[in-house]
Amino acid sequence: MATDDYLDLRLSDFLESLAEGGRAPGGGSAAAFTVALAAGLVAMVARSSRGSWKEASAVGAQATSLLRRIVPLVRTDADAWEDALEELRAAAEGVRADVLEQKLEGAAAIPVLIAEAAVDAALLGQLAAERGDGSYRADAAVAAVLAAAAAEAAAHLVEVNLAVREDDPRLAQARAGAEAAAGAAARALDAAR
Amino acid sequence: MRQVPATLTDSQLVQRCREGDPEAWNELVERFSRYVYAICVQGFRLREQDAEDVFQEVFTRVYSRLDTLRDDSAVRPWIAQLTRRLCLDTLAAGSRVQPSDEVLAPAQEQALEDLDEAFAVREAMTALSEPCQEVLDRFFARDESYRTISAELQLPAGTIASRISRCLVQLRERLEGRNEGAAPSSE
Repeated sequence: MATDDYLDLRLSDFLESLAEGGRAPGGGSAAAFTVALAAGLVAMVARSSRGSWKEASAVGAQATSLLRRIVPLVRTDADAWEDALEELRAAAEGVRADVLEQKLEGAAAIPVLIAEAAVDAALLGQLAAERGDGSYRADAAVAAVLAAAAAEAAAHLVEVNLAVREDDPRLAQARAGAEAAAGAAARALDAAR
Repeated sequence: MRQVPATLTDSQLVQRCREGDPEAWNELVERFSRYVYAICVQGFRLREQDAEDVFQEVFTRVYSRLDTLRDDSAVRPWIAQLTRRLCLDTLAAGSRVQPSDEVLAPAQEQALEDLDEAFAVREAMTALSEPCQEVLDRFFARDESYRTISAELQLPAGTIASRISRCLVQLRERLEGRNEGAAPSSE
């Protein structure tokens, strides 16, 4: 399936395309989509908490901004992998090693962005779980947990990417982000109980 | 030479212009030039030369007709109205269509509304503290993550979302204050 089409698909069709054979959409797109779900949930909780939380609209605006940033990454990750895989095939035939490195570098950059957005969504989810309207705190906690899972997933994708070495600062950053997101999710769950 | 602070309200600035303060005129042009140009180029899609002609004419008219402005706080909508009219005249001159506000397509109206909102937000931001301006600019305009912002500003990452929230609340209060009583008023 052409990756240009992902964002226009019905949800059921997108899920079907995930289940189809092939590499894209794959883990990166699914992680980005999960961050989008988390950001959307935080925005919903914030909107529903305006009556009791002075900063609700401001948190909703941040969640909406995150959503705007993450949605294109659902597609971009798949595009980057398609490009990299194409070059891997070409490299297997013994050509274009420099281009391959460049493409893998591009493919590695996307999970780094997904990881950053996931950490932000987890922190916002924690804030909404602590201060949002009581009826919606469970939704905020779900948002934080989803975002933390996406942060962990994105860090894993950074780690396994062929262009990222163990001493690459992006890997340390993604791991630290996943840890921070996990902490935020744990605090969000506590606040929502 | 007397300096005119950029923090003057629109009303105060217009008052200084009426008193014949040349620095106030410079500040007025500085404050509204991007707005006028954006209406011409983004709102009406005028060619560069036409946009420059309209730009010159708008400020010539503002200079010569400022005394006809009834409500000093409404100088922005007044300038917007002048600019729109001159843009429509320019388009009409090119296409022989009778100028009218009805010429505006919904997309054009939306573009103008978006411009108004963007400039109002930008203006309101200048009244916030420097740290607030910086944190809002980094998150919303530069799309920086909380981690990046916290590293750059040497603040704990866990506090960035709350800081942004507090600054946004202040910004909204500024915008609400600005919207009270600033309705268009013209010649």
